[in-house]
Amino acid sequence: MKITRGKWSVVIAGVIIGLVAAVLGHFGNPGNMQLCIACFIRDTTGGLGLQTAGPQYIRPELIGIVLGAFIISFIKREHAPKGGSSPFTRFILGMCVMVGALIFLGCPIRMILRIAGGDLNAVIGLIGFVGGILTGVLFLNKGFSLKRNYDQPKLEGVAFPVVNVLLLVLLIAAPALIFFSEKGPGSMKAPILISLAAGLIVGIVAQRSRLCFVSGTRDAVMFRNYFMLLCYAAILVVVLIANVISGTFKLGFADQPIAHTEWLWNILGLYLVGFGSTLLGGCPMRQMILAGSGNSDSAVTVLGFVAGAAVSHNFGLASSAAGTTPNGRIAFVICVAVVFAIAIFNTKKSTAGQGVRA
Amino acid sequence: MEYLATFHTHYGAVQFNKRRNAEGVQSKLMPVPRELSANCGLCVRFIAPAAPNPSEHEDMDKCYAVNEYGEYTITED
Repeated sequence: MKITRGKWSVVIAGVIIGLVAAVLGHFGNPGNMQLCIACFIRDTTGGLGLQTAGPQYIRPELIGIVLGAFIISFIKREHAPKGGSSPFTRFILGMCVMVGALIFLGCPIRMILRIAGGDLNAVIGLIGFVGGILTGVLFLNKGFSLKRNYDQPKLEGVAFPVVNVLLLVLLIAAPALIFFSEKGPGSMKAPILISLAAGLIVGIVAQRSRLCFVSGTRDAVMFRNYFMLLCYAAILVVVLIANVISGTFKLGFADQPIAHTEWLWNILGLYLVGFGSTLLGGCPMRQMILAGSGNSDSAVTVLGFVAGAAVSHNFGLASSAAGTTPNGRIAFVICVAVVFAIAIFNTKKSTAGQGVRA
Repeated sequence: MEYLATFHTHYGAVQFNKRRNAEGVQSKLMPVPRELSANCGLCVRFIAPAAPNPSEHEDMDKCYAVNEYGEYTITED
């Protein structure tokens, strides 16, 4: 049991996820959106008719990620029904994170994929993402806590994976009550089986490696532990190579797929994602993995993402290639205020010693 | 003896580490080693004459003794 053993495993995890993303892109997923938790949750929200203004498609990748994490955590005896750590606060944080992600147009994994596609707007956004994480770390060091979770009944830990199986049944049966985009990003998709298999692989790999875009960055700034950054670098390099080979690599700001060039809002959107996710203890992908592994607080957080996606498109908060919207900018201010309020009211005054290095 | 304690919350780990530091005990915060947990939280690695009882420290989950090879054995609680 040597700690260093994990170093290679995160690089391999990054390479696998990068390859999966490249395959998904090859088989039809949208440009620089081969895999994106926020966008795909938004698509699924639309597929269920909970938002009617944006893309609509129940993405099999997400179902695969949850079931992959569920299966592997079960096999490895790491599946543990846990919950009860401020669930409604997590729901609200989830909503705010989604609003931020849809202002930027992507979650942290899409940020990496956009950079790998040459989209410099995402490089600018990265500044905000790191800034948001630093703000969150500041509160963690000052004593922020959503309180501990507790053991839950078995059903609480398997309900979320079961819901995902039902989503898969809905997608395959395709009754008239679910929605499929006929044009735009929601209509661009890899075949169901490939998407599902891709999701399963990502779910398994991410559960084993504990891949998280937020906690990896947090550990880098808090402990100078650059372990997980190797994983991000591996994803970036693999997808970059795939983009160069397929001719989809295009360096620049303008005319990038499903992206806008309002630099300030790219920074602020990801700032909200970074800040909210740090308080939640994990990025959107990590929440999916934890939800699959039995954590019902993360399942509630995912429902918060769904609510955030519904609100974002129904109220016109989400950005598009044309840029941000006035409503989106107002929503950002409200969400940042809410996240700060949650951070402040859940921070206990420290009772001992001096702080740790931020 | 060197120990490693895992916590239910970040808060518990940060506070426990601060107390050890305030007592002048060699102690540091670090990410939880993968083999101990599938979660991505923080743990505290510290020197103590005897294993602490997890139930006596806020939000402490488990405590492991760390041997010279860096292997972990859970302590009795």
